[in-house]
Amino acid sequence: MAELNVLGFHAGSSVLHQLDVRFKLIFLVVISLTSLNAFVPSLSLLTLVLMVSLIHAGLPLKMALKDLRYVFLLLLFVFIARSLSVPGSPVVEFKAVSVTREGLYEGVIVCWRLVIVIMTGLSFVLTTRSSEIKAAVEWMLKPFPWIPAKRIATMMSLVVRFIPIIFEQAKKTMEAQRARGVEDRKNPAYRLKMLGIPLMRRIFERADKLVLAMEARCYSENRTDSRLSSGFKDWIALIGVVCLCLIIIL
Amino acid sequence: MAEKALNKIIEIENLSHRFADGTVGLEAINLSISEGAFVVIAGRNGSGKTTLLRHLNGLLLPTKGVVKLSGVPVAKNLTWSRQMVGMVFQDADSQIVGETVSDDVAFGPENLCLDRAEVKRRVVRALETVGLHHYKDQKPHLLSGGEKRRLAIAGILAMEPKILVFDEPFSSLDYPGVKQVLAQMVSLHQAGHTILVAAHDLEKLIAHTDRLVIMQDGGIVRDGLPSQLFGDLEAFGIREPCASRWGMEVHSWLN
Repeated sequence: MAELNVLGFHAGSSVLHQLDVRFKLIFLVVISLTSLNAFVPSLSLLTLVLMVSLIHAGLPLKMALKDLRYVFLLLLFVFIARSLSVPGSPVVEFKAVSVTREGLYEGVIVCWRLVIVIMTGLSFVLTTRSSEIKAAVEWMLKPFPWIPAKRIATMMSLVVRFIPIIFEQAKKTMEAQRARGVEDRKNPAYRLKMLGIPLMRRIFERADKLVLAMEARCYSENRTDSRLSSGFKDWIALIGVVCLCLIIIL
Repeated sequence: MAEKALNKIIEIENLSHRFADGTVGLEAINLSISEGAFVVIAGRNGSGKTTLLRHLNGLLLPTKGVVKLSGVPVAKNLTWSRQMVGMVFQDADSQIVGETVSDDVAFGPENLCLDRAEVKRRVVRALETVGLHHYKDQKPHLLSGGEKRRLAIAGILAMEPKILVFDEPFSSLDYPGVKQVLAQMVSLHQAGHTILVAAHDLEKLIAHTDRLVIMQDGGIVRDGLPSQLFGDLEAFGIREPCASRWGMEVHSWLN
């Protein structure tokens, strides 16, 4: 499975790896929200901080860029849409369509903010085991006794674990269909149906096998979970992140 | 006689299983397996091998009859039965749940609610046993086929089972992968584990086994020493090992 290797935990001993998952979740939310109010200087600062953190955490940069190529395609669409939709002084004009200077600036800023959110998410996923996410979700849902915290946390950790496998399955199914000339069929609805039905069937079959394998290994909701422990490092990191965000906002 | 009865680690009495749609999975199976045995259950696809194995740890429960482990019915304590019988599935990828090799091995002991120190001790020991300790932080899907199968074995060894059950352990493995897994099985047998293997291709492991059970249409049709049953194999859709066809002695793939 060469695809989407980046969307998962990479073992390591960086500062991010050592931080308590609850603090990391707070950082994820705070930095993402702050980036919505950031412009060129503060976005540059955030990019620098996140890039250093990601490299320190051991992100394989080349692999990440390759795995996220479709996200860049999405960003390109966002950029084009922004460039064409914001009124202002035109840079290029073609009939009724015009690309404006303000639109280009807005497009760059919006895409940059999205990149910050992606980088923050990446640094979280890269340095956090799904069992830790599960433990954090359970901890956060503890004040709500009517919510089945353990079950929700297990489902979330399994979803995180199996996203790359679903993509892998989709890729295999698409390859098998290409080998049988599906590209000659131009109707997108037909192609979506021909991909969707076998893909869903395979995913459910795989889920069934997973359930059996988990049962065979005595799975139950009451198990030894990851220990959540916060320390001096976490509080220092929290102060650092809050200061960074305050500098950006004020 | 009493001592002999005590040595029977698996006792299956009059076991029948019908699936929800009424299909017969197993029909009146009687089988006893001694502690420390290395048994192959062979048969063509759909003969009931996997269905039988899944009764050993309660993944399936009998429609009729009883399966006992060391004299205790499986259904009486499923957690204990699943700890006692470690199962390696045909598709190792579907069995792997952890994000790293060591996380995956820890999954079973964590389910047994063992304390962290004990979980860690078992993970280290299981990975050392299968020779994957140097991959402990590796992502499981980056391992080779043989290594994935060994990881699945480590995952069940960490639960310290007495019986190891393998369902088609060599499917989709290359030659080095087959040798790795076979060597692991032989070494676990020598360490005192009871081994049961479901297979339709006997070539790779028959030299190491001391009993062959042949299944057809959900029932046991032959049960005995492998060398005595070679002549009957093809009648039940199982290929006779090459060496035996040519009248030679069957040799291990590990030599």
